[in-house]
Amino acid sequence: MALDSAKKSELLKKLEQGVVEFEDDEVRDAAQEWVDSGEDTYDAIFDGLVAGMEEVGRLFSAQEYFVPEMLMAADSLYIGLDILKPHMVARDSGVKGTVVIGTVQGDVHDIGKNIVKMMFDVAGFNVYDLGRDVALEDFLKKQLETNSDIVCLSAMMTTTMMGMPKVIEMIKEKNPNCRIMIGGAPITDDIVGKFGADATAKDASNALEEAVKMVVSLREIQKEANAKN
Amino acid sequence: MSEHTVIFQPSGRRGKIAKGANLLDAARSLGVEIESICGEKKTCGKCKVQVEEGFFEKYGVDSKVSNLSGWTKDEERMLSLAEKENKYRLSCLAHVQGDLLVFVPEESRGGKQVVRKKAGKLKHKPDPSLTIHYIEMKAPTLHDPEDDYLRVVAALKEQHGVAADRIDIHCLRVMAGALRQAQWKVTVFLLRGEIVRVAPGKVETYYGIAVDIGTTTVAAYLTDLKTGRAVATESKMNPQVIYGEDVMSRITYSMQNPGTGLEKMHNAIINTLNEMIGSLVEEHMITRDDILEMVMVCNTAMHHILLKLDPQYVGVAPFPTAMSKALDVRARDLGIGINISGSIHVLANEAGFVGADNCGVLIAEEPYNSEELMLIIDIGTNGELLLGSKKHGVLSCSVATGPALEGAQIKFGMRAAPGAIEKVEIDQENLEPRFKVIGKELWNIDAAEIEAKGICGSGIIDVVSEMFRAGIIDKGGRFSKHAPSERIRKDPQNGMPEYVLAYKKETSIGKDIVVTQGDVRAIQLAVGSIYAGAVIMMHEHGVEKVDKVVLAGAFGSHLNQFSCLLMGMFPDVPLDKILSVGNAAGDGARLCLVNKQKRAEADVMARKVRYLELTVYKEFERVFMKAMQFPHMEDQFPTVQHVLDEIPDWKKIAKEKEKA
Repeated sequence: MALDSAKKSELLKKLEQGVVEFEDDEVRDAAQEWVDSGEDTYDAIFDGLVAGMEEVGRLFSAQEYFVPEMLMAADSLYIGLDILKPHMVARDSGVKGTVVIGTVQGDVHDIGKNIVKMMFDVAGFNVYDLGRDVALEDFLKKQLETNSDIVCLSAMMTTTMMGMPKVIEMIKEKNPNCRIMIGGAPITDDIVGKFGADATAKDASNALEEAVKMVVSLREIQKEANAKN
Repeated sequence: MSEHTVIFQPSGRRGKIAKGANLLDAARSLGVEIESICGEKKTCGKCKVQVEEGFFEKYGVDSKVSNLSGWTKDEERMLSLAEKENKYRLSCLAHVQGDLLVFVPEESRGGKQVVRKKAGKLKHKPDPSLTIHYIEMKAPTLHDPEDDYLRVVAALKEQHGVAADRIDIHCLRVMAGALRQAQWKVTVFLLRGEIVRVAPGKVETYYGIAVDIGTTTVAAYLTDLKTGRAVATESKMNPQVIYGEDVMSRITYSMQNPGTGLEKMHNAIINTLNEMIGSLVEEHMITRDDILEMVMVCNTAMHHILLKLDPQYVGVAPFPTAMSKALDVRARDLGIGINISGSIHVLANEAGFVGADNCGVLIAEEPYNSEELMLIIDIGTNGELLLGSKKHGVLSCSVATGPALEGAQIKFGMRAAPGAIEKVEIDQENLEPRFKVIGKELWNIDAAEIEAKGICGSGIIDVVSEMFRAGIIDKGGRFSKHAPSERIRKDPQNGMPEYVLAYKKETSIGKDIVVTQGDVRAIQLAVGSIYAGAVIMMHEHGVEKVDKVVLAGAFGSHLNQFSCLLMGMFPDVPLDKILSVGNAAGDGARLCLVNKQKRAEADVMARKVRYLELTVYKEFERVFMKAMQFPHMEDQFPTVQHVLDEIPDWKKIAKEKEKA
């Protein structure tokens, strides 16, 4: 049974609102109904769930939502994704890149990193999450293995933040085109410059914006390089 | 016009200052008070400040004295050469030209910090490690040529039944003269079998000093070892604040400045301790030589810096300490100015993040002897929690409360000093506040001059709790869009909502004092982390509730217990089961000074406490998240339920009004 456009937009609205208002049941039902119809689930994910998460990100930036709301929304989002993703027809989604993300050695705080990771997930990035307390050289290893566009480093403590410039140096030496984003409580714009990173972000949706920008600029560099060849 | 970041320590106030402004004006605009008696007429020389040079990671500030306008003739006249070399400037004459970190020395500070580390009453009888014994001996003769040392040892044995088996070299060097001058009638000071002092005649009272080295403040108690009473108290800012406000940034400072960073911070604390010892003995008309033993408690990082141990490993997971066991060090090895034969006892650390200060709390409160299950919360720059009873044993954990509860990282936060708003009530109907500031008796609404400068820790807890009670913010900490008050407005710079606690006319800083959405968030994180720590420990013990909550810490005793409970800082208990015990860490230090059984107990109990590393608990994220809501996303708070039921729902009220 195919979905007519009225039904489609109703379900999309349900998915979106369900995420924004953490209505797990709404999301589950709408996602299931979509899957049962046999339609490709691509739109349901991106125009429904992800649209909702983008709104959550906006509310978070505006400080209307806080960590608990963010995590509750994420729960609803993942409920929907679990149902919809297996039925999605793969396609090229434009500017989406590969990200290696983790909390640096000595640091075990990862709530912030998990939120950023989730935003990448929903935006369709290929995410390699190394977890927390990650040995510095493991970031380099994974970057080389996956040839990721971006490496994201997180630290909550000033003591562990000091490991970041070492990772940045290692990666930039092997792969100067890789973009590096750093984040966490002690990170400021000045630190970004001092450590030689490419960007920081004050919250998750900001991180996503920055990441998309970085990927776009990387692709342009590559295009230029290809054109020359 | 270009602006530069200027940070004032030890208050931690910081902000962007327009290029060319003088430091005195910069300080005022940030709510930092600097003495200026002459009113910028360049005559008093009181507004001295010191520029700290270096790159400070935490602020991203590269501070140097050349970021100020040039040295002036007036400063040449009023400051000493040594001061010039140590980068002192007069704040009315030095103009901002770049980023700066400026230290305001004690003597230049207007408005002294209020000492909130008063000594409590001890529950144990004195039985100190350091004992004194009056002995009389016969002078040696040709028939009795025994050496001086054995003569003293024998007299101690015969006259008091105490055993001495060694003597400190410095004491020995002066003993021969002392014995003869006093005609062989002396009082011997004995510390764990060692003779450390021989004083002429009969000494009746003697003293020791207990010290609590906090990240922010240091408190020292001159204690009568016969009665156990604190006879004088001294409190100072920890001078290390200029190198970083929290332990992590201090450890980073040490890592970033190998060879000099640790040394600088170590020397700073030793100097401060020596100054404090000086004032204590002077106040009590005794001398430094009269002090033979000190007991110190501090968190792990302060412990390492005090002993000049490399603190970097304590700063990263898995946070191992150099040594957990209690330690006895000669005062002279640390350069601490008491009797040259004197000794320093440093209490045991429990775990990487739970230091000797918590050990002090542990033995002062004795949860291991309690029939009731006690939750002890020691709130400082870090929060340390203990949960236990005789039956359950004791667990500890450390929670990153952040400095918000001490008034830092709060837009108008400040330390507890005159002018700080410390108590707040908000009317549930008209949403008007009334508040009290430190140093004034009356509520603001009854006083002619209020001169509020900022909000201290207990004030910020009160105001956020009251905003919740009045429906200005909701359970999730979000500002209500419907609460009818002019005091709720938007910050024109970032569009975030804020609540005006004090209008400009009630403040001495020339602007309104507000509570921002960001402030509420910081408090949610702090309160949530404490509750989450408690919950994980309760899971570990397999219990559903606690019987009693003890709030310790300098600041704990000034908290409004009801406000804390309404925000859900800890699990629900009846209000009469919430106790404030003041500086329990300092009390524990004093106990160890005056009672040797307690000292032995401390070392044993510190080993028995089981430390939980919260971040390894998978459920921590969820538990923490739920605890961030006021009072909690799910858990019940019967004690304050009637208050929760009365919170006005402004959205509903607005809708009803519309209908009508």
